[in-house]
Amino acid sequence: MSPLPARAPRAWLTEPVESGPSAGFGVYLHVPFCHHRCGYCDFATAAVGDRGADDQQALFVRYVTALTTDLGHQVAAGRRAHAAAADRDALDPRWPEVTSVFVGGGTPTLLGGPLLADVVRAVGRELDVAPGAEVTVECNPETASVELFAALVDAGVTRVSMGAQSFAPHVLATLERGHTPQRPVEAIAQAREAGIAELNLDLIYGTPGETAADWRRTLETVLAAGTDHVSAYALTIHDNTAFGRAVAAGRLPTVDEDVQRDRFEVAREVLGAGGFEHYEVSNWSLGPARRSRHNLLYWRHGDYLGVGVGAHAHLTGRRWWTTRSTDRYLAAVEDGASPIAGSEELTDTERAEERLLLGLRLRDGLHPNDVPRIEPLALADAMAVGLVETACGRLRCTETGWFLLDDAVTRLLP
Amino acid sequence: MTYAIDRIRNFCIVAHVDHGKSTLADRMLQLTELVDPRKMRDQYLDKMDIERERGITIKAQAARLPYLPLGEAGGEYLLNLIDTPGHVDFSYEVSRALNACEGAVLLVDAAQGMEAQTIANLYLAVEADLEIIPVLNKIDLPAARPDEVAREIASIIGGEPEDVLRISAKTGEGVREVLDAIVDRVPPPKGDLDGPPRALIFDSIYDPYRGTLVYFRVVDGSFRPGDKIHLMATGFEGEIDDLGVHSPEETPIDALGVGEVGVLSAAIKDVAQAKVGDTITLAGKGWEAVPRLPGYREPLPMVFSGVYPIDSDDFPQLREALDKLRLNDASFSFEPETSAALGFGFRCGFLGLLHLEIVIERLDREFDIPLITTAPSVRYRVVMERDDPETGEPRVLSVSNPQDLPEPNQIRAIEEPTVLAMILTPSEYVGKVMQLCEGRRGTMIAMDYPTEERVELRYLLPLASIITDFFDTLKSISRGYASLDYEIGDYVAADLVRVDLLLNGEPVDAFSAIVHRDDAYAFGRSMVETLKELIPRQMFDVPVQAAIGAKIIARETIKAKRKDVLAKCYGGDVSRKRKLLEKQKEGKKKMKSVGSVEVPQEAFVSALRSGSAKSDS
Repeated sequence: MSPLPARAPRAWLTEPVESGPSAGFGVYLHVPFCHHRCGYCDFATAAVGDRGADDQQALFVRYVTALTTDLGHQVAAGRRAHAAAADRDALDPRWPEVTSVFVGGGTPTLLGGPLLADVVRAVGRELDVAPGAEVTVECNPETASVELFAALVDAGVTRVSMGAQSFAPHVLATLERGHTPQRPVEAIAQAREAGIAELNLDLIYGTPGETAADWRRTLETVLAAGTDHVSAYALTIHDNTAFGRAVAAGRLPTVDEDVQRDRFEVAREVLGAGGFEHYEVSNWSLGPARRSRHNLLYWRHGDYLGVGVGAHAHLTGRRWWTTRSTDRYLAAVEDGASPIAGSEELTDTERAEERLLLGLRLRDGLHPNDVPRIEPLALADAMAVGLVETACGRLRCTETGWFLLDDAVTRLLP
Repeated sequence: MTYAIDRIRNFCIVAHVDHGKSTLADRMLQLTELVDPRKMRDQYLDKMDIERERGITIKAQAARLPYLPLGEAGGEYLLNLIDTPGHVDFSYEVSRALNACEGAVLLVDAAQGMEAQTIANLYLAVEADLEIIPVLNKIDLPAARPDEVAREIASIIGGEPEDVLRISAKTGEGVREVLDAIVDRVPPPKGDLDGPPRALIFDSIYDPYRGTLVYFRVVDGSFRPGDKIHLMATGFEGEIDDLGVHSPEETPIDALGVGEVGVLSAAIKDVAQAKVGDTITLAGKGWEAVPRLPGYREPLPMVFSGVYPIDSDDFPQLREALDKLRLNDASFSFEPETSAALGFGFRCGFLGLLHLEIVIERLDREFDIPLITTAPSVRYRVVMERDDPETGEPRVLSVSNPQDLPEPNQIRAIEEPTVLAMILTPSEYVGKVMQLCEGRRGTMIAMDYPTEERVELRYLLPLASIITDFFDTLKSISRGYASLDYEIGDYVAADLVRVDLLLNGEPVDAFSAIVHRDDAYAFGRSMVETLKELIPRQMFDVPVQAAIGAKIIARETIKAKRKDVLAKCYGGDVSRKRKLLEKQKEGKKKMKSVGSVEVPQEAFVSALRSGSAKSDS
């Protein structure tokens, strides 16, 4: 019944083929600033729309300085200092080469080309960035321009992820997005013109008020825009957001799981017909080469540094994260203190949970050598109800099981 | 100090919940200067926390009040206040406590007027031949209507409205007059001073250090520490370790004679060995010749419910807790049972619904075991088609769990317990109250008008139809004014069927119920709708069906779930995602797998409650 060949009990952790440290090494840099905080957002953000231009610029400069200082400190502390105590001595103290960099937010492009380029370059100064590494910057269509993209290309950025969310005006209004429906398409063209090699459009579906026709039109617009990657996420309303409070007060209808499932199926159909491969629950690419390597690193349980406000990092079974408050972050870094707000060392059981909950998001599932130990009865149960399957020894979700992944994982877990 | 028999007065207070019985008792204790004001707390006699919180008395208590009336030259009187339980579930206990008295203070709230329960207890007191002293309480309240209520009392007990005493237990006004009336009007006890000692047990409670404490009233002769006693119903024999009186703290005493009230301990391990109503006499030669005091009855559970630990690992702790509770409460019974849906648990029997609630609350409060209790049911008599081969008589089964009901073709008849209910209501609600009773398969027996504004309705009702939410519904349709009392009636044949609930085609035993055939469709419909709401969507479509035997009477479908995946990891925040998933996993552990369907624990409780409530309309 088990898809696993007989191996040492911890081999899935110590000798993975494509998971964990074998998946590469990434750096995530967070820029919290936004013009306005959208109603559904529960990221670490800081709205700066009501500040004057000079005031904003001064804050941005301070932040970029702090960000690069923080990165410098985290790197200088050494790889072993970040690792779980149990694994510390066995760990190679040298930092591996960086295979992906991701600048997310917030709205990183609010910083403008030169400051954003400084952020990207800081990584190359502190760490060894591999040739051909993927370097992504999240981009808000309102702040995009050919000049901005040119500055980014110059700094080594290879990929831009554009937050379009929807191409239906009333859905953008509900989501409190300020751009016009045409703007992301124009911004994609500008990025391509500036020489950005890989382009992604970010979408949200299942927003209250969105119709099936709205969603289909949005997907068709995406195909016409000519990107090589699409991310489409089901809207999740968190209690601690403006949307969450509106739902609790009855001012906003809650999201409907049947509608979200219908949208998901439409996305599979339309994007599939457009030549996109559905490689992760929420991600599509034009063939394997155009998959997002930084996101793959997350799904494959890899190691990454996290720098900036509310950033998360992972190194072989230890996770740590920085404060979500921009003020506290700046104060700490400028004071020479640590901005780290918390950390946890994972037990092997927790690492097994993560390996499954992340790895099963991928269509390819997990390599046979990378699957943690699963109770044969639990596996038989998850297979019997049609949630997971094995293919060439790989453990993966079935087509139906994919959108019910949490159920699959809770069945497989001890 | 011993008292001559003609100086003793034994009395109780008959009152409705909230009419101020405990406050009056507190005031009497203060007036006779028995309680140090610093130790005074409200409702001094109510010992259990639950009693004090709910303002009801579950267990009877007694207090000894030495009282010197003003201007009295002949010396002190000894007043024994025997506090009675205040709820219909405990009417047998009430009747025994009343039998230990010669007089009763009938205490009525001057704003509320007489209530059904008060009248029922009043009738018990009259039956026990007690001298009744009517008292109006709370005359200081703005809403008080003393003249009207005094007329009402007079019309029920006879006598003149002017004879009704008017007091405020809260301020103490008129309390001395009540004590004087007890001295003047309640007769002293009668008994054979030199005959073989006999005493009536009117309560017994369990004390973890001393074993069972027996509250009793001496009828004949006297008892001393060291006497070897014999309890006539249970056969228990043992030596009196401690003999005492409550004044109101327990105080040792060297003898108790005719008419006196006290407490004894005799290394009685279990309250079931010292049952309310039993007769105490002396062990040794000759006890067989001593006549038992009349009126003893074995406690009879009327309401049954399955009690299951939510976590099956708690089963041994639950058994231990039930054993401990039973030490303290002989009227509650339990035996192990198994449910396919809920696992191992116990079928518990209670005197009534309040008793059930009190026991469950004590399990929760004192033992901290999370429980599922199934819908309360009654005990049916099932007459089988086949006669008993030995006697040639029809075989009769006693069924308190719907699961134990045999197949319909094996049953000749089912009989259910009934109650004779007395409902007192302001006349404006009489229509609604009658509608409620008719809807619960009630048959009207009588309708009287004790006063112009109030109606006394008597109905014969199936016990099963009043044990869930009848009282709550009665209160809500009458804005809280109607009151209910009942006594257990006979078993009566009825057209009853078992409605089973099926999930994904599998019957779930814990949801089954025995209902009247006329109510079966409404009950089945309401149950499938409720379960559809409460059971989360599963991996596949789940039919929810209600059935009588093989016939499906209602159906809903819980559609297969279509989305169960968390959104993306924000900036690599995997910790949050893992924790959310762990929470989901914990939630799943609280589900019971029934067949292949995951049913949350709440569904068992809420479905049963709402099922019974909805079938009403």
